[in-house]
Amino acid sequence: MVDIDKATELAKQVKFVILDIHGILTDNTLYYTDDGVKSECFSLVDRIGCMALQEGGIGVSFLTSKVSRAMDAVGEIYKVPEELRWGTGAKIAKLDEYEKESGLIDQDFCYVGDEMIDLGVMERVGFPVAPSDGAIEAKSVAAYITQAGGGRGVVRELAEFILKAQGKWEAVVQKLA
Amino acid sequence: MSFDKDMALAKEKAARVKLFVHDVHGVLTPNTFFCDVEGRRRYSFWHMDGFGDLSLFANGIKVAFLDSTSVDGEGQFRAKELKLDKLYFNVQDKPAKLKELQEQLGISKEETACIGCEVTDLAIMKSSGFAVATADAIADAKAIADFITSAPGGRGPIRETCEFILRAMGKWEAWVEKVTKMGYK
Repeated sequence: MVDIDKATELAKQVKFVILDIHGILTDNTLYYTDDGVKSECFSLVDRIGCMALQEGGIGVSFLTSKVSRAMDAVGEIYKVPEELRWGTGAKIAKLDEYEKESGLIDQDFCYVGDEMIDLGVMERVGFPVAPSDGAIEAKSVAAYITQAGGGRGVVRELAEFILKAQGKWEAVVQKLA
Repeated sequence: MSFDKDMALAKEKAARVKLFVHDVHGVLTPNTFFCDVEGRRRYSFWHMDGFGDLSLFANGIKVAFLDSTSVDGEGQFRAKELKLDKLYFNVQDKPAKLKELQEQLGISKEETACIGCEVTDLAIMKSSGFAVATADAIADAKAIADFITSAPGGRGPIRETCEFILRAMGKWEAWVEKVTKMGYK
């Protein structure tokens, strides 16, 4: 069970949000055409979430082990900078690398993950988050579980939670509207 | 959260409408997009929402797209397809555009209807005499709405709103009869 007071305290410290893609920005469903081209469904509500976080001075990156041009096509419209669209299965090594580069520490990060491959990073960062339909293992290490399932507005909901915890939500909404 | 709305008041307000405005994503669409591995994005719309907008248009009510959410021009494609692109506007400042439109067309706040779902819709909803929220709108939008559709975005909220407006005006039955006999375009 999520302890909201504790989650709010942890959310106050967040300076950077790392998003897994599959199961977080999507509901895990894969669509194939008859000639084998794969598509996935994303949420435009999460675009608002990503933009709101960045408007509030919080960095946003993608971290996925499966790389395709979809990451860029989504990153473009979520306004996630190209250099923060990370494609690697070595997620912990990537966190180490970015901490070195940015000077941020574990406590500054929020990581949103739903599966086994995410557990290592989730155990490291200050504010680990899972979607409501994430794997039980991910939910059990999460400090916060969104009501939304993957692909259904996880980032929008998380952005509002973090920015409200930091007292920035109203100002960000004014800017977006 | 549940919101009780005064249906008699909603009807009264709907009956005055001369201009209906809406954004694109979250209303005409379920706020989603499909992206393939080659980076092509696709958007889904609800067929009968087009019928809704056209029903109002055919009954003398102006329909305007205040599109602040399209990514690849999909809102404009849809407006063009419906031949409603004369009042299609790609804008970031929706409240300013609505004010300008109301002045240009000589239509008052009380004669304006708006359907919305997000924080970015609150201002134009407040500038409309008849404000509508989708079933999956944020709580703040539902709170200020006069009417909440049973359909979520991308599943027919425009069709539902337009029927509500035409029924409030007492024009629905005649319109249905006309469409039944002659179709619509």
